[in-house]
Amino acid sequence: MEEEKKTTFLRTWFKDFWGIFLNEIREIFSDSGVILIYFVAGLAYPMLYSLVYANGIVNDTPMAVVDMNDSEASRDFIREVDATREVSVAYHCMNMEEAQRLMTERKAHGILYIPSDFSKNIVQFKTATVSLYCDMTSFLYYKNDLMGVNHVMIDKLGKIEVERYTKAGYYGKNADRLAHPIIVEDHSQLNTNSSYTIFLVSAIYFIIIQQLMFYGMSLLVGTQREENRSFASLPDQFEGHGVNRVVLGRGLAYLLVFMGIGLYIAFIVPSLFGIPIRGQFFNTLAALTFFVVDCIFFSMFWSSLITRRESVFVLFLFMSPICLFLAGSSWPTFAFPKFWKLFSYIFPSTFGCKAYINGTVAGGDISIIGGYLIHMTIQTIVYYFLACAMVHIENKIIRHKDELREIRDRLAAMHGIDIEKNVRIIAGEKGAEEYFKRTNKD
Amino acid sequence: MKVWNDIRGVVLRELRIWMHRPIYLVGSIVTLMFCTIFCLTFFNEGIPEDVPVGVVDNDNSWVSRYFIRELDAMQLAKTVKFDNYDEAAEELYKGNLGGIIVLPQRMSADIQSQKQPEVHYYINSLYIINGALAYKALLTMTNTANAAVQREVYRKLGYPEYKLRDLIQPIAVDAHQIGNAENNYGYYLTNILLPAFLEMIVILVLSYSLGAELKYGTSRHLLDTTHGSMIDALLGKLLVYTILFTGMGMAMILILYNWAHFPIAGSLWHMFLAIIMLVLASEGISVFIIGCLPVPRLALSISALYSVLGFSLSGFTLPTEVMPSFVQGLSAAFPIRHYYLWYCQEVFYGTGFAGWWPQLVSLSIFMFLPLFVLYRLKGAYVKQNFPTN
Repeated sequence: MEEEKKTTFLRTWFKDFWGIFLNEIREIFSDSGVILIYFVAGLAYPMLYSLVYANGIVNDTPMAVVDMNDSEASRDFIREVDATREVSVAYHCMNMEEAQRLMTERKAHGILYIPSDFSKNIVQFKTATVSLYCDMTSFLYYKNDLMGVNHVMIDKLGKIEVERYTKAGYYGKNADRLAHPIIVEDHSQLNTNSSYTIFLVSAIYFIIIQQLMFYGMSLLVGTQREENRSFASLPDQFEGHGVNRVVLGRGLAYLLVFMGIGLYIAFIVPSLFGIPIRGQFFNTLAALTFFVVDCIFFSMFWSSLITRRESVFVLFLFMSPICLFLAGSSWPTFAFPKFWKLFSYIFPSTFGCKAYINGTVAGGDISIIGGYLIHMTIQTIVYYFLACAMVHIENKIIRHKDELREIRDRLAAMHGIDIEKNVRIIAGEKGAEEYFKRTNKD
Repeated sequence: MKVWNDIRGVVLRELRIWMHRPIYLVGSIVTLMFCTIFCLTFFNEGIPEDVPVGVVDNDNSWVSRYFIRELDAMQLAKTVKFDNYDEAAEELYKGNLGGIIVLPQRMSADIQSQKQPEVHYYINSLYIINGALAYKALLTMTNTANAAVQREVYRKLGYPEYKLRDLIQPIAVDAHQIGNAENNYGYYLTNILLPAFLEMIVILVLSYSLGAELKYGTSRHLLDTTHGSMIDALLGKLLVYTILFTGMGMAMILILYNWAHFPIAGSLWHMFLAIIMLVLASEGISVFIIGCLPVPRLALSISALYSVLGFSLSGFTLPTEVMPSFVQGLSAAFPIRHYYLWYCQEVFYGTGFAGWWPQLVSLSIFMFLPLFVLYRLKGAYVKQNFPTN
């Protein structure tokens, strides 16, 4: 007897679960707005971003040079600056006014000023100072100006020291040893040229997954609510039980869709655009799966705040760029103010992006991404229970609709808002009649 | 007179709608307030200080310890000690360190016997600011260490003490950061992020408002209010929203350049004009989108996809000239791109009208966009023949 009851429970559970799953799949594929977001934006956006940032290395920033010295030493310095990867000397100016004009016209993005005593100072064993004026309108210009000129400065420094030691009686290798007492070897293999592409695009991929899922799901939820067939009314058919069935059944539908989109975004797009994939396949797959599951319950919980179809964009679109900053790849996590650090724990992307950057792009193994997987698991559990709670609460609200409406009317009356009059002004007599007919029908 | 009455009717009607549905004010004022608070607090530090740098000290002499202490004392960096490279590398891969420096065995002995010990760096530039700052700190530190050794050499060669400083630094670069002297990353980002958020808000809220008339079937009533004139209806709507958005924009400019003291070379009034033009141009785009596609959900989705792209295509992070050429052309279709160029002229160089008149012209062109769709939008408003869901 006991045995039989158990099997029937499992069977009905599974039947309901499967029904909800199929229903959700049908919803997703029969809504053109959701299809636009999931399949058109989902396929095009990662491509578009990869394309916009396809060439993330800024080379040969044009610089204007004002050479008041005009000596062999100064010309040599300028030649070497021109030869760097970062800077190209595009203009030789007679005076600072001319150079400044070029900079305001955005023809030059930096000015190098060599004073008239440059070569004299070097000969006299004094410090010869050159002035550099950087264009700060984009930090990549600034970085190039500074790096290009500093590299030349350091190189010249060594050469001048060697010359001086040679004059002091140290020859050949000895002079070099004195001039360079410590040798520096740079082994920066992760993103060697500080490419903006690799840095930014590898963080954007997972943000796209999270945001698209959230917007699409909210669109569906909003539509269902507008049409008075909220997903939360589903448990009614199961006599009030089965919140888990609803949440898991719907979740499976999104898992199916987003593992497809996710595999495309995490593997195919980066290989098309030369983003390095150094991580092992299964590590990336694990990160992706944990992330997608986390996003599903995250979206389920937050989308329950959406009551109308289009409002999700008006209310939440601005979070996309903010999530990118909270992922901590541009502004370093250790510099986050405390509040924003806590705030960032709301989003799966905070952990997901890092798992992808550190695991897939940098090639870290499971010991490196393990921490993020654990964080995402905790987040998943929390959001799962929150999502269940929201279904439960909404179910209650649907059942007690009339009482709630009475409360709303009472509150409106208390604050002197005449809802009926408002509706008549906004929608006109005919519209208002329709509105009242519709609301009374529910 | 009739026109004014019509417009007044639309304005009053719109205010009623705001009272009835909080989404308009929440989506505009509250959203922009949140973004402003975010930008001003999140980038509060200006430039991150004390970037963690891993140190593997295989020498363990007074020289290496001195080196580490000096590195730690820099404003830029903070050292974290590791016993071996593998442990440090794990933290580097996690992005917790900007870089690692490995000091070799016998470093101090090798320096003294002029054997040129090799110091090794490992930078993680996947976290670009972190990596750049760590690199800067390590480079500065090794150059300082080199200079310290040279100082001793020159001292032994018999140069007087007062000449040593000049001797170890034959060439110096005196760098000036025009318009952002403190090299403040917060100024750099906030200056364009906030207007880009404003552009996004204008496009979304306005197309939502115009779309809602279709969606809830109230568009005919709107036209009744203006006795059938689409121009008056649109003017009325735009009047309310322009006052709201320009008010928000001007408050934003005041907060940035007056209250938060962001550096500005030019005039505040010119930036007011810039932000008003940005709002008007974005409104043009918004009406154009809903006019081309009088289906609320599609118009909103397109508006969303469009306005998010503005952040990248303004070119304030990665300059547009390195983007693929067709993307460079595309960037001209975003008001925020023109605003960015205007802001470069005014905030950095204070050129005034002579510098930004081309942007003024470009932004004005966006304002003519609604004329192309006015007829189509009126058709949709009267016939209500497009899907509403």
